[in-house]
Amino acid sequence: MGTRRSGILFIKEAKEMLLNNIREFGMYIVLFVIIIIFTITTKGAFISSRNISNLLNQGGYIAVLAVGMTLVIIIRHIDLSVGYLSGFLGAVAAIAMVSWHLPVYIAIPLVLLFGAIAGLAPGFLVAKMGIPAFVATLAGWLGYRGALQLATMRTGTIIIPNAAFNAISNGYIPDIPGISILPGVHKLTLILGVLVILLFIINSIKDRRKTQSYNFKVLPVEMFILKLVFVSVVVGCIAWVLSGYRGLSWTAVIILGVILIYNFIMTQTFLGRHIYAVGGNPEAAELSGISVKKITYVVFSSMGMLAGLSGIMFASRLQSATTTAGQLFELDAIAAAFVGGASATGGVGKVTGSIIGAFVMMSLTNGMNLMGIDISYQYIVRAAVLAGAVIFDVATRNRKK
Amino acid sequence: MIEATPIVEMRNIKKNFGGVRALCGVDLVLKRNEVLGLVGDNAAGKSTLMKILSGAYIPDGGEIFIEGKKTHIASPSDARRIGIEMVYQDLALADNLDVAANVFLGREAASKKLGPISVMDKHYMEQETKRLLDRLKIDISSVRSIVERLSGGQRQAIAIVRATAFNNKVTIMDEPTAALSVAAIRKVIDLINELKAQGNSIIIISHRLEDIYEVSDRMIVLRQGRKVRECPVIGKLDEFREQVVAYIIGARDDFAERGVD
Repeated sequence: MGTRRSGILFIKEAKEMLLNNIREFGMYIVLFVIIIIFTITTKGAFISSRNISNLLNQGGYIAVLAVGMTLVIIIRHIDLSVGYLSGFLGAVAAIAMVSWHLPVYIAIPLVLLFGAIAGLAPGFLVAKMGIPAFVATLAGWLGYRGALQLATMRTGTIIIPNAAFNAISNGYIPDIPGISILPGVHKLTLILGVLVILLFIINSIKDRRKTQSYNFKVLPVEMFILKLVFVSVVVGCIAWVLSGYRGLSWTAVIILGVILIYNFIMTQTFLGRHIYAVGGNPEAAELSGISVKKITYVVFSSMGMLAGLSGIMFASRLQSATTTAGQLFELDAIAAAFVGGASATGGVGKVTGSIIGAFVMMSLTNGMNLMGIDISYQYIVRAAVLAGAVIFDVATRNRKK
Repeated sequence: MIEATPIVEMRNIKKNFGGVRALCGVDLVLKRNEVLGLVGDNAAGKSTLMKILSGAYIPDGGEIFIEGKKTHIASPSDARRIGIEMVYQDLALADNLDVAANVFLGREAASKKLGPISVMDKHYMEQETKRLLDRLKIDISSVRSIVERLSGGQRQAIAIVRATAFNNKVTIMDEPTAALSVAAIRKVIDLINELKAQGNSIIIISHRLEDIYEVSDRMIVLRQGRKVRECPVIGKLDEFREQVVAYIIGARDDFAERGVD
């Protein structure tokens, strides 16, 4: 009797867990399926170390935008201006180094600061003036496009001669010299991978112990171990694949940094909790003493800063600031955010999800390029994936009610 | 026993909206550990009176005393600081967050501060929420359940827990049983009785006279911005209902000014 009850309870819990996480699981499955399909259709070229490494470097600037965009979407807004803002700020970075002769370690923080300040403008229009974000940021889209053309008008494309700057999107972390085992493999990347796995396992066990000490429910031991093994294998695979080419790129380091910081903020801090609350029910948040205006400013400002980072990464990738930099970045970022599980109704979305979403979209482009599929079909396939993601979102929402 | 100072006393409260007189001099007293029912037809002024007490509206005239001390309540956060909590009719929960997050919304517990960034003490908040739910015998399987997936009764319970969790003095409930199933209404009634047993002071607005009858010690009937009846809740339900309805529709009036009307 008792076991039967606990059995039923277990199934109920497993069901609830699946329902709670179906969006996230769905995304990982999609990414996994895409990787498998492209690996088969390209006879392994897709999964090669060199391609994966390139894919990360090519898509990094969209991934960081997608993180910021997810926050904006969580609080029920949208930001169309970030594409050209990113392009414009990339040009500012180039001008700062080339014309103003600022060293790279000043130019980069300066551009990030400009971005954060630029983000306050749509924040003001939306929070203070009550203008719909769509319109307010569309104005930004036009304005920054003009600003970018002005900035590059005199010189056209601005070539960036700074090696350190260009390493951001083209360079790799150095390896430990003088180790002769595993030739052709990036040892430091492997070591970092192992460290991440160890840290993850130790943290998970610690957290589990703590939760247990409070007499709270924890995952059954088998599921817990399965989770640890699964994550370890995934991280191990990524580290192994990357170490087969030139190791961890600086772009990957930046993406990891953005994930760590933003994930921490969104899941562990008051600010993150309040951002979700504003997205879930602005009136309730306001009644609870949370300033919806302040949150709106912070989120748009963070979006602006990430646009600056994205602009730097893109300019670094091309080793120059171009007149069309940032074109359509905003739409890629929005698509990535939605594919990554953000909900158009607000309040829902995760940092990790937006990164996965960005990689789904990047993998599609990359894989179809490798297969030699015509660009027109590529757009249609990506459209289908985006539509599918939103349909999935709506379908999983309605079922809950 | 000496008559204790009432926890809330509102004297001669007036409020106009444009030319409309929503409240024309209403008195209200809430004693410690008392449940006061507030009834009246639509636009009788019940919600306006309670919004004044909870800081959402500023009265045009009158005085408010909290524990005998004259108090100005200028905003909801003022009211909250004094210890007046309101459970709103439309619940005011963030549906996308879990139970613990909603109970602690805007009052999160910090484990440490890194400059402007405060890190949440999630374990403490979850544990504390569980304790609060247990204390009020509320049946919710996990404090990590997303509120959106809970029933109407459970959501109302969370809204009430949230209001009463932080040693408040007065809890105002605006139609706590509206839009609930019969079973859920039963649970909310039990919850209010449990709160009273634990020493809370509550004002409850409701259209459902049977609910008022079941939980209230005393009641006030408002009509067109005036108090028309104030009495203890006693007697049989049918008689009670009949009598109260007569006041609500204006057939009777205990405070009618003689010579006028």
